[in-house]
Amino acid sequence: MIEENGETMSKLLKMQGICKSFYGVEVLHGVDFEVEKGEIRALCGENGAGKSTLMKVLSGIHEQEGGEVIYNGEQIKPTADPLEVQSHGISMIHQELNLFDDLTVAQNIFLCREPRKANGLIDFGKMYRESVRLLERLGEKIDPRTPVRELKIAQKQMVEIAKAISFNVELLVMDEPTAVLTGKETEIMFNLMRNLSEDGIAIIYISHRLKEITDVCHTVTVLRDGSYIDTKNVAEVTEKDIATLMVGREVHHSSIGDFSGDEEDVILEVKGVTDNMLNDVNFSVRRGEIICFSGLVGAGRTELMEVVFGIRHPEKGEVLLEGKPVSVKSAIDAIRCDIGLVTEDRKDTGLVLCRDITENSNYVFWRKTPGFFRNAKKTKSNTDGMIDRLNIRCAGAQQDVANLSGGNQQKVALAKWLISDAKVLILDEPTRGVDVGARQEIYQIIRELAESGMAIVIVSSDMQEVMNISQRVVVMHEGRKTGELKCSQMNEEKIMYLATNV
Amino acid sequence: MEELKRRNRFIELSSKLWKNYSIVVVFFVILLICGIAAPRFLRPNNLLNILRNTSIVGIIAIGMTFVIIAGGIDLSSGATLATSGAALIALQKLVTEAGDPAMPLIIPIVVCLTISTGIGFANGIIITKAKLPPFIVTLAVGIIARSVVMYFCRGATIMGNRIPTFTNIGNGSVFSIPIPFIVAILLAVILHVILTRSKFGTYVFAVGGNENAARYSGIKVDRIKIITYMLVGFCTGVAAVIEMSRMAAVAATSSGMQYEFEAITAVIVGGTSLNGGKGRLVGTIVGFIILGIVNNMMIMLNISPYLSGAVKGAVILFAVLLQRRDR
Repeated sequence: MIEENGETMSKLLKMQGICKSFYGVEVLHGVDFEVEKGEIRALCGENGAGKSTLMKVLSGIHEQEGGEVIYNGEQIKPTADPLEVQSHGISMIHQELNLFDDLTVAQNIFLCREPRKANGLIDFGKMYRESVRLLERLGEKIDPRTPVRELKIAQKQMVEIAKAISFNVELLVMDEPTAVLTGKETEIMFNLMRNLSEDGIAIIYISHRLKEITDVCHTVTVLRDGSYIDTKNVAEVTEKDIATLMVGREVHHSSIGDFSGDEEDVILEVKGVTDNMLNDVNFSVRRGEIICFSGLVGAGRTELMEVVFGIRHPEKGEVLLEGKPVSVKSAIDAIRCDIGLVTEDRKDTGLVLCRDITENSNYVFWRKTPGFFRNAKKTKSNTDGMIDRLNIRCAGAQQDVANLSGGNQQKVALAKWLISDAKVLILDEPTRGVDVGARQEIYQIIRELAESGMAIVIVSSDMQEVMNISQRVVVMHEGRKTGELKCSQMNEEKIMYLATNV
Repeated sequence: MEELKRRNRFIELSSKLWKNYSIVVVFFVILLICGIAAPRFLRPNNLLNILRNTSIVGIIAIGMTFVIIAGGIDLSSGATLATSGAALIALQKLVTEAGDPAMPLIIPIVVCLTISTGIGFANGIIITKAKLPPFIVTLAVGIIARSVVMYFCRGATIMGNRIPTFTNIGNGSVFSIPIPFIVAILLAVILHVILTRSKFGTYVFAVGGNENAARYSGIKVDRIKIITYMLVGFCTGVAAVIEMSRMAAVAATSSGMQYEFEAITAVIVGGTSLNGGKGRLVGTIVGFIILGIVNNMMIMLNISPYLSGAVKGAVILFAVLLQRRDR
């Protein structure tokens, strides 16, 4: 970093020595961060590296505990609330959409700042005109009278951006805005970001997709474990360089090879599953095998897994465990059959966020062992063993899961099934919202589990992941199985061909 | 590094202690203030009296804590107390007039507990199987139960037999500690162990914290919920036995009136979150004792009974404000 007086003058934002702690544990250790006018800056790091925390300090959601924020040459008070920060021209778009489904597009954009007529009533005409103007700037033609509920996800994202730039914004923070977008929608958003940047608006862009960063960003800053690591010009680095900076070690991509165990040793077999979303689906998985389900959104993969786990009841079809037909009518039946499911949405179905790591990782163990009381000693050794084995980064086993980062939450969701010795483990999108480093750790864990004899079924929409981790891939298209490929036969084109069924 | 770790652990521990037990500190501050405002307040007799009076609502609150942690609520408790109490009084009159005064008392008590637990079961079944909000279901069941009592008693008061074996349950003491309070503490200790050490207790927290995740973990969510409603029903039955024994009478229109709200207040003051998933019985005990103190001080300080609602409302707001930082 160059330290010249002239240089500091052109900086739009200068954060210096930012510190922040949660529950006595420091998560940001004096981070420095600077952004210039009109710059698109990527902010990278593993889950738990402190990206979101840093941005929440900036936008006034978290109170900073050390350091200072200088914006346009003026210091922003450490106690400033989000509204105050917004009035300076800093807007943040959060990972989850923050829109009111039942209000119209215009009402959402101007929420709490509705233009008024002289008599104090809302001036809807002006509100709609302004909304159209804002949306046009984004190249979007949505009728501002439409309730947000009726919009597509990409359109909702545009409304969020329209809302953000309606505050005469100079600095826009975007926290993983493309997580819900398709490739084409992402491209539209990147063009939009470039336009905003040309208008002099600086953008801080948080993403786990390194390809996107090299596509759209000018510079990239990497954080690791709550500390500033480096800032690079995107033109001068490769994706691999960024990944290496993030994890502090080399990342290898390699495929795992074909299944080498006993072909006849089938643990789970699913036959002829049919209902309104699924059409005569068959598959089987052997002891120690890792298979992936690939396909486009809506192919019925999650639904199929829900059938296996007893949450969904099909019209036809049977599940065989080690050759014997079993009746799986509920999650508890599945657990009795030693089938585990790490769900797609850990916040909704995977974890009880307000309870601690110990409880969350032992629920299934307790369900499977007899006795009225929880076995305190066994519970503790279970939990400590998992924290150690899965490298769960936490303040202790008593920490609420809500306070863990995404990757570590995912490890707790996984721990639940490892403690209870599942024979078949289904993982639905196991690395969604998980960064490169933790992702590699999870792959490593999956490989070890398979080696120890567990049968692994993964549902994944990430082609790289499928290529990386699976010994066999089953491809589905609109509720139907369209093909199976061994690792040695696999390539991205073949999978895509089956997934689109052309 | 080691030093820093130890310091962090100390900060964490003390903040956790304050988070969990701030209500205990507040409790002693209240005691002190009351003692200064009305010295008579601190007389042992008065203190024991407070414990006796507040224990009936307290026992309901202990059961209510489970329901609220599991994400539910029970608005039928007051009417449940009246219904099961009316059965108790009617049967007590019958069996004591029939002869042997001591033994048969067990039958009316068992019937009373069965009815109250049964009403809890009905609440639970309707809530889980019909998938209706607990607020509506228990409100409706409460209205029905109250109406049944009114019909049964013809809207009046039924007197029981004032025999000592019966009246001693509510009015007696052991080593000068009121029996109702002993019952409350015994129940609280047993249920505290169940809540914090048993699998069932852990599942109650899980169901209140995230029902879906609990279901995906193989927890029988419906069963857990039904048991919590049966538990508050059972506790209400115990409270009914004590309440009926104190008066040896049941009043159709006023027995147990508004007890559910008093109990919910005690639970909230005790720091249990109405959102479910978080809470503790120690808090509930302190909560119902604080309510007892407030009631007592109103009398001590000669404040109009019509103002008691205002004071209790303020207590709820204060308690919730104090605990807001937890979340």
